[in-house]
Amino acid sequence: MSLSLIWDAWRAEAFRLFRNRMLLFWSVLFVPIFGLILSTGGNLFMSANRDRLSQGAGDRPLPPEVAAALSEAPIKLGEALVKMAAEAGNPAVLLFVLIGAATLYAGDYRWETWRLISARNARANLLLGKVGVLKTLALLAMAAFLIAGVIETGLKAAIYDRGIEWVVSGAEAGRFLAFALLSLIGILQFTAVGLLTAVASRSLLATLFVPLVVAVGQFFALQVLRPLGVGPDDWAHLLVNPGAGFSALQALITGGTAAQMLEDGLVLKGVVSIALWTLGPIAAALALFQRQDLSKE
Amino acid sequence: MEAVIETRGLTKTYGSVRALDGLSLSIPRGGVYGVLGPNGAGKSTLFRILLGLIRPTEGEARMMGGAVGDVAAMRRTGSMIETPRFPPYLTARQVLEWLALGHGMKGSAEVGGWLERVGLGEAADRKVRGFSVGMMQRLGVAAALMSRPELVILDEPTSGMDPPGIQEMRALIRSLPAEGVTVILASHQLLEVQRVCDRVAILNKGQLVREGLVSELTAVGERLRLSVGQADKALAVLGAHGSAAGDAVLVDAPRSEGPALIRSLVEAGVDIHEARWVGTDLEAIFFSETGAVRQPEADQ
Repeated sequence: MSLSLIWDAWRAEAFRLFRNRMLLFWSVLFVPIFGLILSTGGNLFMSANRDRLSQGAGDRPLPPEVAAALSEAPIKLGEALVKMAAEAGNPAVLLFVLIGAATLYAGDYRWETWRLISARNARANLLLGKVGVLKTLALLAMAAFLIAGVIETGLKAAIYDRGIEWVVSGAEAGRFLAFALLSLIGILQFTAVGLLTAVASRSLLATLFVPLVVAVGQFFALQVLRPLGVGPDDWAHLLVNPGAGFSALQALITGGTAAQMLEDGLVLKGVVSIALWTLGPIAAALALFQRQDLSKE
Repeated sequence: MEAVIETRGLTKTYGSVRALDGLSLSIPRGGVYGVLGPNGAGKSTLFRILLGLIRPTEGEARMMGGAVGDVAAMRRTGSMIETPRFPPYLTARQVLEWLALGHGMKGSAEVGGWLERVGLGEAADRKVRGFSVGMMQRLGVAAALMSRPELVILDEPTSGMDPPGIQEMRALIRSLPAEGVTVILASHQLLEVQRVCDRVAILNKGQLVREGLVSELTAVGERLRLSVGQADKALAVLGAHGSAAGDAVLVDAPRSEGPALIRSLVEAGVDIHEARWVGTDLEAIFFSETGAVRQPEADQ
């Protein structure tokens, strides 16, 4: 394994990725564009019905989202960005980045191109190059999500005739970076299962569906563990479900009451779980790939 | 003589099938080397092992002085195994640029030149999803050659090509040794191999059954075929050396005695219209060594 050879593999994969326009559209652009259209449509609707919405509530308080939208206070861009960074690895982004991951990880089996590229580089380098490009794809998807979020904020301000506060504090900048990193790790963890599936099954469809099935399996495993007396801060709970680890880390980054409510050791357990669910599948895929017959894709 | 490829007792089994059975082979640097054999003889298995696509069950193989899988050795080698496939959304030019990056090449300035050289200049900016098998083969050959390797392994490079394409590919392959490239070629087209290769190995059931220079293999049983005006007179002059073959006379004699025999016939007043040496062709050797049944020609 050498860095220059991994770099060669990364460059080649990135070259191919940026020429696959369909993949870029679905993995990077679809969710932000669709989200932008949906939220702008919703804002236009609420703005047009502002009076009716306010009157219709009567004595009952407005739902918080509607109340926030109808507020006349300036929109705080710093806060909005931190919220967007925390949501940049949301299930919709995960699902559509998974389409790109499936193409990236299983494409060489589908197009029978492994025999072209594996004859000039070590297998481990080729797979690590793919993981590196997936990271690039995830960053692009997150950047597109954030850009769409900023545009949405601007449109919202225009629709409701509200101002925008551009002040971003140091603490907010720190939280933004921490949430962005956590979202990126979330995408990598979810797609790592796809990498192992691609190598084991050589199938694009399996690569697309197995991570979803695993996520559903993790959810149901928790339902089975609960009656057995396994609590949310137990090792078994965290190891079965890395999502609980992400929740713990999000609470830590958010700080305040959310962080104070975390049980002792929960963050550590969460980090271990995330590391195992991210590095484990990658290591298993590497080990399997080293022994694989690549003459018959 | 320095070997670019050496195998010792190379064996590959798939269940009870022995695709390679203790193959020991040494392929010298320089020239064009042909690997022949019927389907299932082990040619593709040998190439796949050399290129690290599969692992041998037993034995060892070395390529360009390094063990199989050694990246430094692999980067001095170009290859095309069977009909190559490419990502369908890339153009021919992008395919070569993509592979150039993956191969660690500094630039891709020569891509256009290689596309021209394999006859794909006009199709350079077309997506490969619309390419014919022959065009894929041409692109595969360009991909194998563009990094200017010292060794090129080509498995059935003319498969799916039309006759002009085969002729172009033959000329290209023949030109490579002059550029310092050793070519290893597998093909079912025995006449092509005979025309292109300097040396051949014949495999059968995973074993090496014959190896040597094409000129030496086909020289065995060589005869001088003469078209003469007076066959009876010629046979009388040649005595035990000659035999009739229709309107022609066949002479069993070493090449060194050819000029003297022709001179004696001319001096005896025999008109010679044509004289040529005919040897055993590679096809005959192939059928003899592999035990395959040679079908009679349709027009015979």
